[in-house]
Amino acid sequence: VSQQPLDGIDTLRYPDSSSLLSAIVNSSDDAIVGKTMEGTITFWNPAAQRLYGYTADEIVGRPITTLCPPERVGEVKQFLAMIGRGERVVHHHTERRRKDGSTFPVSVTISPVYDADGALIGASSIARDITREQQDEAEIRHRTAELERAIRNLESFTYSVAHDLRTPLRALGGFSAALLEEYADSLDETGRGYAGQIRDASDQMGRLIDDLLDLSRVARAELRLEAVDLGAEAARIAEELRRGEPDRLVAFSGQRPACAWADRRLISTVLQNLLENAWKFTSHRDQASIEFGSMPTEDGRICFYLRDDGAGFDPAYTGKLFSPFQRLHSAEDFPGTGVGLASVQRIVERHGGRVWAEGAVGAGATFYFTLSAEEPYALPAHPARRGQRRRRGADAAGLCEE
Amino acid sequence: MRYPPILLVEDNAADEALTLRAFVKNKILNQITVARDGSEALEHLFGESSANQELPALIVLDLKLPKLDGFEVLRRIRADERTRLIPIVILTSSNEEEDILFGYQAGANAYVRKQVNFTDFVATIGTLGLFWLLISEPPPGAGPPAVLPAAPTNSSP
Repeated sequence: VSQQPLDGIDTLRYPDSSSLLSAIVNSSDDAIVGKTMEGTITFWNPAAQRLYGYTADEIVGRPITTLCPPERVGEVKQFLAMIGRGERVVHHHTERRRKDGSTFPVSVTISPVYDADGALIGASSIARDITREQQDEAEIRHRTAELERAIRNLESFTYSVAHDLRTPLRALGGFSAALLEEYADSLDETGRGYAGQIRDASDQMGRLIDDLLDLSRVARAELRLEAVDLGAEAARIAEELRRGEPDRLVAFSGQRPACAWADRRLISTVLQNLLENAWKFTSHRDQASIEFGSMPTEDGRICFYLRDDGAGFDPAYTGKLFSPFQRLHSAEDFPGTGVGLASVQRIVERHGGRVWAEGAVGAGATFYFTLSAEEPYALPAHPARRGQRRRRGADAAGLCEE
Repeated sequence: MRYPPILLVEDNAADEALTLRAFVKNKILNQITVARDGSEALEHLFGESSANQELPALIVLDLKLPKLDGFEVLRRIRADERTRLIPIVILTSSNEEEDILFGYQAGANAYVRKQVNFTDFVATIGTLGLFWLLISEPPPGAGPPAVLPAAPTNSSP
């Protein structure tokens, strides 16, 4: 076999490049086979013997089609024609036949071989057994299908929760209300209290189910990424909260613009939850302040934050903040189902980011989040994304101006 | 004064009682016929006994029904010349985006979610009745099939 295709190797500082080359070829794990342009086998390395089962003595001089199942003979002739035109065959997946007649899947790369004068004298092929890869791929396909089936089951389960659990709950709430309205006279104080408890508990469970459904929707929703001005969203939500409780004195300051590549609807849910929290946990203050802004992280990405001077939380329980149904305050002090921050975490994680909080009892809380790690998961490719990703760290504001 | 009838399609007895109660609490005095599954609803509208009956002015339809589901009932009602213009309000537990979309695609005029809180539910039924029975103008020619104009959407000049 000619040394020519491995051009450049002989410039290395080896006294005898041909012995180096044969050492490489002989130690290769891939089957390396040389053949003439007519398809006669001229070279056979030890890996080829292991792969096909023929020794060099048995196979050299025989046609290359010996290694093909009958239905692949045409393909081999076609490849030789391509090599004749100076083309290459790269990582072609096909089938080959062993000496014992069994066939197996291979990935094959075929290159032309030239002599010292540059004349085409044959072809070399490198073949690798891909049985294992194909089994792995089949396994992955199988598991993906199983996973998809599991997700579909989960969706239909969630759906039943929505419909089936709410129906009896409506009966509990509705008939206890009817009892209170129409039979209040037949019940004593204690009896009316019990009926009231049933009604209130069913309302509370209705809210829990709805929040849980929202949470599962967050996990399932398809991400539609676009440039979003989080500062504008935060200001809009703060204005809505202010309109809802016009008597409260809350100073909101928000950075504008504060842009990110995000799903507008989902990121609004994040800001809504964080702002509602801040609004709620500052409710005992005569004058409260809430601040939204962004700052660069150590690795040059952007971290958004929402800071309030409200009730804060015990830092010992920071880890529990983001678990569903975990509440660090009593329902009497601050109402809620404990699902809001769990949704925040899911959404931020779906954007490839991270959320964390700092706070102390009575000293307010600050929630921080980033929106994209180096390898954000489930982040679909977007033609404009690469440029914008690069700009985000240094000049996120530029995003929103387009 | 006679009030035009309402058809309530609801399979759950508790929901039926609560919905009827909510209508009464809102002083909606129209005659309400209850169909307890999809085929009963179609039987009421298209069956033999329907011939001399006044068509409902409003259909309140649950989605998850035994036998024929709400979407199928909706499609059949929309496919029939006599009933295709009757206002239909879906009243259901689900607020899945898919259900809402399919509901409108199948020809619903409104999609309303049943609340768990009864006070809220009564208020919803009140608003719904007020809007569809009083504020909204009924489709022209609503009434006996004979006076329905022929296929208004296909009308050529």
